[in-house]
Amino acid sequence: MNGALAVSRYTLVEISRRRLLLVFFVIGAVGIGGLGIVLKAFTSAFVPGGSGGPGYQGPTPAQWEKLTELQFVTNLIGALGVFALLIAFAIGMTAIYHDLESGAAVAIFSKPVSRFAFTVGKVLAAAVAMIAIVGLLSLEARLVMFLFGGGLEAALWFETLAGVANAAALMLLVLALSAWMNNIVAAVVAFIYNGVAGVVTALHQQLVSGSFGDNQVLHTGLNIAYWLVPHPLVSSAPREIVRQEFEIFAASQPPDAPPVDQIVSSIPGPSSATDILWWVFVVCVLFAILYFAVRRRQV
Amino acid sequence: MSTVVSVQNLRKRYRRRDPWAVDDVTFELDAGQAFGLLGPNGAGKTSVVKMIAGLIRPDSGTISLFGSNPGNPAARAELGLAPEDPDFPKFLRAPEVLDYFASLLGLDDEERKRRIPETLEFAGLETEHRQIRQFSKGMKQRLGIAQAILGRPKLLILDEPTADLDPIGRRDVRALIERLKQSGVAILLNSHLLSEVERVCDNVAILARGRVLKEGTMSEVVPEGSNLEEVFVQLVEANQPQRDHMPSFISERQ
Repeated sequence: MNGALAVSRYTLVEISRRRLLLVFFVIGAVGIGGLGIVLKAFTSAFVPGGSGGPGYQGPTPAQWEKLTELQFVTNLIGALGVFALLIAFAIGMTAIYHDLESGAAVAIFSKPVSRFAFTVGKVLAAAVAMIAIVGLLSLEARLVMFLFGGGLEAALWFETLAGVANAAALMLLVLALSAWMNNIVAAVVAFIYNGVAGVVTALHQQLVSGSFGDNQVLHTGLNIAYWLVPHPLVSSAPREIVRQEFEIFAASQPPDAPPVDQIVSSIPGPSSATDILWWVFVVCVLFAILYFAVRRRQV
Repeated sequence: MSTVVSVQNLRKRYRRRDPWAVDDVTFELDAGQAFGLLGPNGAGKTSVVKMIAGLIRPDSGTISLFGSNPGNPAARAELGLAPEDPDFPKFLRAPEVLDYFASLLGLDDEERKRRIPETLEFAGLETEHRQIRQFSKGMKQRLGIAQAILGRPKLLILDEPTADLDPIGRRDVRALIERLKQSGVAILLNSHLLSEVERVCDNVAILARGRVLKEGTMSEVVPEGSNLEEVFVQLVEANQPQRDHMPSFISERQ
């Protein structure tokens, strides 16, 4: 346990000194802050202040404000997701690869530390670093949200958790691959995997919403693919945002417009307990692959 | 004297089609003894050292390190390894590297506070505040030796310890070996500097192509009136194909 903590502590020191991560963090922080300020400025300058005149059925100023907030949250979720992935790649490519490839592993492994403790320490440091960076960006996002008066706390909280969980799984995949192969090749493989997982999830969502009709072969095939390919976790935030946007415009919708439930059903819904268990299983498998690679590695 | 490390019929090759990197190597090392492992490049010396340190696994044969398998972390608690061409986490500084390794060795705070500054001073790195990525090869070698002695090992393995050191560094390493020997530490020394080996080692083994050509005490291996270098060259050249040493263009007149 002491060995794992020592590995973890000094891996964190190393990660904190990597300029690439600092650059990602600064770009993320500036991007999130800038996004909020620009949207707020846009709302103040262009959103109509009056009621819109007799017969006007569009959103009120308060609803415009709400709409801008939802727009901010939508962009924020996208930006946080992208930065979490970038940080996952940056940490995953370097946290273990450099020690194994340089002579550092020779000095470390000749000490009374087991390879299991080394692996645990590395993964712990990588996870803590990612949670800290994404957490700081989320905290900044929450502060920026006060510009809009706050709101959507629960949705954002779960979205942040889902984003961190997805990035952690991807980071572990890059870590595991980089213990077997060159770290750039590992990142490319993980990137392709991430794309495939995204496509499978999107297709499965279309299947669930009924877009593919009753084709049983497609049904079975996509269900199998969905449960074979580790898929990202989803929070309730995307559906919640669309629902709230729809409600703002509800008064101006034609009477024959489809009901809100039908619209949101095409958007990925919150992950079920089975999805979360599947994520836990995938993380355990990736850790086992990483440990196996470190254990058999001859340095 | 108690046996610190015992190597029996050790064999290792890295790929199935490769020749044996280490082929049937057997030797023992007792406490307070200095053992020189000699051989030309590619003789298998570093492979032997890495197997003793539990870094690579032998294909056959046995290694007993303090009575245990070196793959067992506890067996390495009293081992110090100064690797050939050492490297360390590149964004750390020298005191941090030593603190990191002190943690892996399980040293308490008091011992760390005492040992780390003294070890840094011995290595001549006490005023060095740059990160490892800015270190020269010689500085890394000094740090490699420093981390190896930090845990007061009972077996110190030095793999080409003076290759990148200046003459003062070499003198310090020689003095270190003498001092450790006197205090009962076993030393396993891999070196191409045969005069150095002759000065400090009690026993030697000469390897070529993974096999032990000759092994014994210094007086057994080096007959009177000869020296280690002569014995080494004769043995190694008799066991490998003769080479035409000089490229033909070297002797052409300009």
